[in-house]
Amino acid sequence: MNLRAYILKRLFLSIFVLIGLSIVIFIIARVVPGDPARMALGPRAPQYAVDQLRQEMNLDQPLPTQYYYWVKGVLVGDLGKSLTTKRAVADDVKEFLPATLELAFIAAIFVVIFSIILGTLAAKYRNKWVDTVIRVMAYTGVAVPAFVLAVLFLLLFGYIWPVIPVLGRLSPEIMPPPTITGLITVDSLITGDLSAFWDALKHLILPALALAMGPLFQEARIVRSAMTDNMSKDYLAAAVGYGIPSSVIMRKYLLKPSLIPAVSVMGLDIASLMGNAFLVEVIFNWPGISRYGMEAMLRKDLNAISAVIIVFGVIFVLVNIIVDLIVAYLDPRIRLGGKV
Amino acid sequence: MSKNKKWTLATVLVLMVALLLTGCGGGKENNQDAQGNSTAANQESIIRSTASDVPNIDPGVGSDYASSIAFANVYDTLVFPAHDGSLKPWLATDWQTSEDGLTWVFNLRPGVKFHNGDELTADDVVFSMQRMITIGEGYGYLFSGVVKEAKALDKNKVQFTLNKKFGPFLSTLVRLYVLDKNQVMANKKPGPYGDMGDYGKDWLVTHDAGSGPYMVKELKKEEYMYAVKFNDFWGGWEKDAPEAIKIIGTTAGPTVRTLMTQKQLEQSDQWQTEEALKALDNIPGVSIDAGFTGSMLNIMLNNKKAPTDDVHFRKALAYAFDYQTVVDKLFPGCKKAQGPVQFNLPGFNPNLPQYERNLDKAKAELAQSKYAGKLDQYPVDIVWIANVPDEEKIALLFQANAAEIGIKVNIVKTPWLSFVDQVATPDNTPNASVVFVSPHYNEAGSMLESRYHSKSTGTWEQGEWLKNPEIDADIEDALGTLDQNERYAKYQKIQEKLVDLCPSIWVFDQAEKRAYQDYIQWPGAELNKQGKPVSSVMGYNFYYHDYKVTSQK
Amino acid sequence: MDINTQTAFDVNIPSASTRYKEALRKNWYKFSRNKLSVVGLVIVLAVIVVAVFAPYVAPYPKHAGSFVDYQHANLAPSLTYLLGTDNIGRDILSRIFFAFRGALYMAVLVLVISLPVGVILGLLAGYFKGTWIDTIIMRTTDIFLAVPPLILALAISAVLKPNLTNAMIAVTVMWWPWYTRLVYGMATSLRNEYFVTAAELIGASKFHILFREILPNCLSPIFTKMALDVGWVILLGAALSFVGLGEQPPTPALGQMVSDGSRYMPDLWWMTIFPSLAIIIIILGFNLLGDGIRDMLAKGEHDRG
Repeated sequence: MNLRAYILKRLFLSIFVLIGLSIVIFIIARVVPGDPARMALGPRAPQYAVDQLRQEMNLDQPLPTQYYYWVKGVLVGDLGKSLTTKRAVADDVKEFLPATLELAFIAAIFVVIFSIILGTLAAKYRNKWVDTVIRVMAYTGVAVPAFVLAVLFLLLFGYIWPVIPVLGRLSPEIMPPPTITGLITVDSLITGDLSAFWDALKHLILPALALAMGPLFQEARIVRSAMTDNMSKDYLAAAVGYGIPSSVIMRKYLLKPSLIPAVSVMGLDIASLMGNAFLVEVIFNWPGISRYGMEAMLRKDLNAISAVIIVFGVIFVLVNIIVDLIVAYLDPRIRLGGKV
Repeated sequence: MSKNKKWTLATVLVLMVALLLTGCGGGKENNQDAQGNSTAANQESIIRSTASDVPNIDPGVGSDYASSIAFANVYDTLVFPAHDGSLKPWLATDWQTSEDGLTWVFNLRPGVKFHNGDELTADDVVFSMQRMITIGEGYGYLFSGVVKEAKALDKNKVQFTLNKKFGPFLSTLVRLYVLDKNQVMANKKPGPYGDMGDYGKDWLVTHDAGSGPYMVKELKKEEYMYAVKFNDFWGGWEKDAPEAIKIIGTTAGPTVRTLMTQKQLEQSDQWQTEEALKALDNIPGVSIDAGFTGSMLNIMLNNKKAPTDDVHFRKALAYAFDYQTVVDKLFPGCKKAQGPVQFNLPGFNPNLPQYERNLDKAKAELAQSKYAGKLDQYPVDIVWIANVPDEEKIALLFQANAAEIGIKVNIVKTPWLSFVDQVATPDNTPNASVVFVSPHYNEAGSMLESRYHSKSTGTWEQGEWLKNPEIDADIEDALGTLDQNERYAKYQKIQEKLVDLCPSIWVFDQAEKRAYQDYIQWPGAELNKQGKPVSSVMGYNFYYHDYKVTSQK
Repeated sequence: MDINTQTAFDVNIPSASTRYKEALRKNWYKFSRNKLSVVGLVIVLAVIVVAVFAPYVAPYPKHAGSFVDYQHANLAPSLTYLLGTDNIGRDILSRIFFAFRGALYMAVLVLVISLPVGVILGLLAGYFKGTWIDTIIMRTTDIFLAVPPLILALAISAVLKPNLTNAMIAVTVMWWPWYTRLVYGMATSLRNEYFVTAAELIGASKFHILFREILPNCLSPIFTKMALDVGWVILLGAALSFVGLGEQPPTPALGQMVSDGSRYMPDLWWMTIFPSLAIIIIILGFNLLGDGIRDMLAKGEHDRG
């Protein structure tokens, strides 16, 4: 099977999965007792207004019809109204999603860079103290839930040693750059506002680190063991024999194939990253879609809950496809049309 | 091999640089902060204040504390509640009422400008009244059963005709916020209200259409409301009045504390725990204001659900509760409640009998209840509001006290909006709920009506489901009494009856405590220091137009 | 294949009890070669003992129930209260002990329920690969794996009434697909093995093939995964209770204690630090133990060195 056919198949399956997910969400959202129209308008609203809203929301139709209208709405970006913010959920998603993407992106960068560096170091000095330290950190890193780490960061950097900002996306005295992409770091660079860029970056460090810490050491361990395995491979000895410079060997023949297993589990890391974002954003007061989703869940704001889960479902599916692509790129057996 | 070493060295270097960068970042951050603060304080005088939520700035919809603060600053009303409890002419310069009290005519102040420059006329007042009644959310209920018709007699004269006599009508007008009709209708969208579409609800979520001293510049959902001084405000401005206000929707202790320390917050919310307040008080330049602003803590008991449907059972709980620990240890500075009405509200009955902790009486009452001997089968659920952490202490105390007389209590932590949803039906309303309540206007009648009249069942303000026809009739009769003294006497009678019915446990009148920076001058805090009364109409202690921001130095 | 040669070999060993002892000794040797596994085992045993006997070993067992003592609130760690007291006057050590109970209870119940469900579905789908049974089961599995587990667990337990039972339901709903996927992979490859074909040829029932031929050969990876999963379930449970969706007060839960304590930072630091450490220790213990069990069950790998 060639790569293109493979990706097309993956995309097709993903659509199927997303349809299934939408049904699950719809069921979750509709089993909850209570009249959404009444909840939206309040207990003292006149009955005629509630009836009209029920009609608008198709609540007077049988469930399958309701599902049809709901999906139809979702497809054109109509996600209903939020009980919390009293406006279209789509607007909320538009406003809060960039903050989360920015955070997750930085966290992912942390994971990639540090896991490669630490994994390489551990492989190079395997069974030395560097290796031991990284192994112990890996065990602890996985055992510390992101929300605990976030709370500990808050205690440490919020009160005891306040060298780095702990709350929000920007310091209050910094004017936010005009919204272009919604990613403050990017927007501030585009508009050339370096102080905002620097400030935004500093605000990103702690939450991103809290999210990255668990996956980071896991990945470092995987890189390490893959590298030690590959070090004993014949082709490496051959490469050395041909007199290829060791930096090239390291990069091309050792690091690249060793990344394959690490990247393959990236999908799982992203899952834990996205899930943990729900708590970490709340703790760091990070105005992202996860904090919004968390509030919505605690308030049983069903339209908002459904929307947030759908958004995360889509992102997660896309990320997994991208991960597959990267693996394919790294692994010539797949890239050159071998069987998956 | 030597090349390999180079590679390793390079990675180590990269790592170190990365660490250094973060380290340096820390160092610089501090300097910047110090500078940022001083400049921020100098170039713009702003009052930033935290609240349990971001305000709902549509006066047809909101009625919670944060929203009430926003309304007071963004919108104007016909009359204004002064700190001493009197009503000042405001948008209305004067008014007449007919002999039977059913017709009211108000003369409007000419030349008042809305934020967009439109002139405020009688049409706008009529529109605002109709909008509130139709939408029926928030404070709309104050008028929905009362006002039959609103009519513009001419450009500056408006007339209200009432359905029935209603004594405190003038007092309720502090909740009639006047919107710019043309601006709202220009922004209406399709919606459930017939010709009026959505009545501008969608647009008003993030915009204002008011004439008050501040105009909303930005409403960032889940974050804050930012409003700036309206230079053409009809009431004029004094020197040093805040140029801008920002209401931040968080009560998280660490956030408030960090912002206060860095002088990025001028005034805290009133939901900080006693422990947190102590810490805030220790920050240099920060003081704590404590004042009775009308807020009162009740444990609402569901009168329509077993076992709290039994009056003896309720009384047993009321006698078992340890009020003294609450006012001594948990909420120092607060005052034990005496019945359903705040002690500083006109119409309060100072001679009411009170429930005191007395386990013997509690057990005696319990023995008379129909659940005596079957207590195991009837556990009591008590809900406390997740956004107000200190309420948990009340719930835990209630649980421990109830256990002493053999009643089992389950504690449930519930987010505010879920609670609002639960109390919509008597079956879903918990047995007991720990809730802060405040009067909507400055009279005992406000509390009695919003807490115990049948028409307020289904709202968060009545978790009791009292549904007592006699009390309903008494409240209506009292509210329909035009003579003030006569009305107050009737209020006092109702309070006696309520104490006997024991629908709730009245815990304490709250001394609301807020931390604030010493560089702001706050009329409410000054009055509290002098022991004078502060406006108990929710929101009006935070009329920022009258505040002053002085230099930090 | 390894397994079958071993079974054939085992027939020669005379006494069952010596054989059992021998296997135990060998496994313990494999397990204890990694010191960290032993540390994990010790932690887990300690946690279990403390949890089971909490009413006897906790210094103030009453403090885990409806109890208030505002005279002794907010006390720093001392000899009377080893880890200090919280804002209600309750001993934090005692509450941590009792919180272990809920954490373990949840882990056990979630795994006990999701394991059989996941395994049976996985066996069915794997054995009937390519039929509609496979399609329905595996596509449903995909749906549940399409959202990060914590997100859907949060949503489910939030929509239901917040309590321990519903938190467990939410986590269970998210957990079975992992077992299904694991068993599916093994069942699809095992069904082509000669011993399955042989059983089919002599006309064994489907039930026999699924549960007597295929299942026993999947057990060791299943147990490995289960051992490794305990820590994850505890972590998920702690995350749920952190946002108030787990055990309800006054019954203590670890996440809930961290969340309550974080409101009183930094002055009452002990309210945050100790429950945080408790979470880290319990998860670390189960992770190390799980790794040890994995190494022990992994055939031969470690013998080769």
